[in-house]
Amino acid sequence: MSEELQDMNVREKQEVARGQAENTSDRPLFVPVVDIWETDRGLMLVADMPGVAPGDLSVDLSENTLTVSGRLTPSPEGRKSLIREYEEGGFYRQFSLAENIDQQGITAALKDGVLTLELPRAAPAQPRKIEIRTEN
Amino acid sequence: MSRFRFQPRSGRGLPSFWELEKMRDHMETIYNTLAGSVSSQLRKNFGVFPLINLSEDDERLYLTCELPGADPGQLEVSVKGETLNLRGRVGSDGPGAEVNFHRRERESGAFRRTLTLPVKVEADRVDAVFKNGVLTVTMPKSAEAKAHRVSVKAE
Repeated sequence: MSEELQDMNVREKQEVARGQAENTSDRPLFVPVVDIWETDRGLMLVADMPGVAPGDLSVDLSENTLTVSGRLTPSPEGRKSLIREYEEGGFYRQFSLAENIDQQGITAALKDGVLTLELPRAAPAQPRKIEIRTEN
Repeated sequence: MSRFRFQPRSGRGLPSFWELEKMRDHMETIYNTLAGSVSSQLRKNFGVFPLINLSEDDERLYLTCELPGADPGQLEVSVKGETLNLRGRVGSDGPGAEVNFHRRERESGAFRRTLTLPVKVEADRVDAVFKNGVLTVTMPKSAEAKAHRVSVKAE
């Protein structure tokens, strides 16, 4: 297979392993694919969650674990499937945050099925000059 | 099939970009005809993008595909006869190559896919909606393709 095909090759949707997340619906849960990169201010996390409406997304932070999950709106009934190349389902993935992330400063936005999380770095401790007293 | 746009080299004796594209169109048509009954697993190995689902009711065909982050203004859906063409680009929202990636799993690039529909549709009444990163194309079946329901009389 050529390089460019490999690069653009569709990653098979990966199902969340049993026991990792409780799935209350009969639909599968998938691991969303993500890009994470460094910025001047911290980290950017971008996750593909197609089919998830903003109201059906949840981003939870507990201890140092960031959990991202999304439900799908049920597809309309009464349709007969002719071709089925991909499975529809919700999304679930957890990330552990480094100590230097400012958890209060995390912001999230969802647009066109893409979740964007900004994870700012905590401000480094201000350098403090310690005066040295001299005793005469 | 997926692909990246590229600048054709202007060397002599090489087939032009458009000739290549035409050739690929032919290949795709042949491929789609042959692959009609092949399992989706095999198709994935060929790097087809995007993957699609097609369903129907009595009146319409519904095609859906997941294109998170695609620019709806750049999505192109066209139907001619029983052939549906999809074109677009995903991942152009990325940061560029010069940043330091910790993870890089998302797809990016231009794509194009041709699909042969199982029945004739009314091409001028096809409707395409892009919502939450999912493209849904609704195609009314042509009159001759609709199932005629015959009511059974009990005697």
